[in-house]
Amino acid sequence: MKNMRFIRWAAFLMGAAALLFGIATAASASTTSSSTGWVRLAHLSPNTPAVDVYLYSFGDPSAELVLHHVSYGVVSPYESLAAGQYTVAMRAAGAAATTKPVLSASLTVAPGGAYTVAGLGPESGLRLEVLQDRLSAPAGQAEVRFIQASLQQHEVTVTWDGKPTVSNLAFGSVSSYQAVSPATATLHVAGASESANSTITLTAGTVHTVVVLDGSKGLVLDNLLDAAGSDAMPAGAAATGFGGSAPKVPSPLPWMYLIGTGTLLAMVGGVGVRLVPRQRGRHAR
Amino acid sequence: MPGKRRALFLVLAAGLFLAIAGAAGLALTRQPVAANYGAAPTLPAPTGPIAAAPQQRSAQVSLPVTLTIPSIGVQTSLIHLGLTADGTLQVPPSTAVAGWYTGSPRPGAIGSAVIAGHIDSRVGPGVFFRLSSLRPGDLVYVRRADGTLAVFRVTVVRQFAKDSFPTSAVYGPTPDPEVRLITCGGIFDSQLRSYLSNTVVYAVETS
Repeated sequence: MKNMRFIRWAAFLMGAAALLFGIATAASASTTSSSTGWVRLAHLSPNTPAVDVYLYSFGDPSAELVLHHVSYGVVSPYESLAAGQYTVAMRAAGAAATTKPVLSASLTVAPGGAYTVAGLGPESGLRLEVLQDRLSAPAGQAEVRFIQASLQQHEVTVTWDGKPTVSNLAFGSVSSYQAVSPATATLHVAGASESANSTITLTAGTVHTVVVLDGSKGLVLDNLLDAAGSDAMPAGAAATGFGGSAPKVPSPLPWMYLIGTGTLLAMVGGVGVRLVPRQRGRHAR
Repeated sequence: MPGKRRALFLVLAAGLFLAIAGAAGLALTRQPVAANYGAAPTLPAPTGPIAAAPQQRSAQVSLPVTLTIPSIGVQTSLIHLGLTADGTLQVPPSTAVAGWYTGSPRPGAIGSAVIAGHIDSRVGPGVFFRLSSLRPGDLVYVRRADGTLAVFRVTVVRQFAKDSFPTSAVYGPTPDPEVRLITCGGIFDSQLRSYLSNTVVYAVETS
């Protein structure tokens, strides 16, 4: 009888201890970062008339995004998209959405990936190219790449801040990104018969694409900001709370003491009752 | 002799009573007292000229001045935050205001602007008390010094354990204008006097 009681008490105390331990170690849910990517669309073919650009999620016949009347030199802002398969289609400006596209390309948007889908080359050899864009630069540096979209100049040579940066970049081609020291300086682009100067600022942590275009009076440079981050990324988490609204979990210790004392008293009483013989006589009355 | 036996019975009964009372007390107080500060107040959306669509050509964006989140009743001025000596994000000295990290892009410029605020003080709710109840689609307004508004749409609300905080996923570069709203969340460790997690709200500028 008494043994049974002790077993039950022990079981209860163990259960209570397990519960308290469970509360203390309940971990908060933590998940991975977002699963979106970014896409922008560009028309960089000098002698191709304006187009309508359609972006379709793979297998979905209704367009996710339509840009109307995109003419030479236009680069859209980045569109944030769920990671997955997409198709980009170009139609002549004003053509019905049901007509067969002039050109189309498919791309896979990876989580955290950024892409430029650009119409490049001359109209006779127009192609849609998917460029992988960079989001970050090495610490303390800026990244820059060049797209040669001038039909007037077969090749161009780029000089940044007095230093040769890219040579003989052919029409319709894209240079790779290169890291440069951040500065406000002169960007000089020269072809066989024309050249252009532009003062641009490249700050640390930014990524740029400079597009070389044919303007009405010679070469034009379009400096695009592909991505920007913080000058210095904060280290780790932020200490943004002092606990005043946190649920209070009261200390279990006073109750544990009470249980302990009670159990001890019950043991003493129980053992005592056993030891002291039961009175059988009636003289007590 | 019978007196002694009765006394021992009483001791046994008292002991059992105390143990049961202790167990009952433990069971009753084991549930944390849920913090209840009433329903979230809502605010009307601020009005004013809405800034042009995201700039790609690095036009200078004016400094942020105030933050309004109508769906959770947040309206606060934005102070400027830097980094602490150990490189972590500085937090506002007051729990009543939020702050913009000056090392991050300005809200509405390309990149992720970092805005931090306290969930609470030692005595009650802070400016970002209800941040974790934001849902995708909710709107966040930042007014700039030139009077223009940048409007952001919440895309994701996440909770990250502080000891495995994904720094680059939160503060990293982006190709479009975004904001990150940061406060504390999860379990409060009363020994460390600190929350064990951060709540991070991702929002992108609406075009």
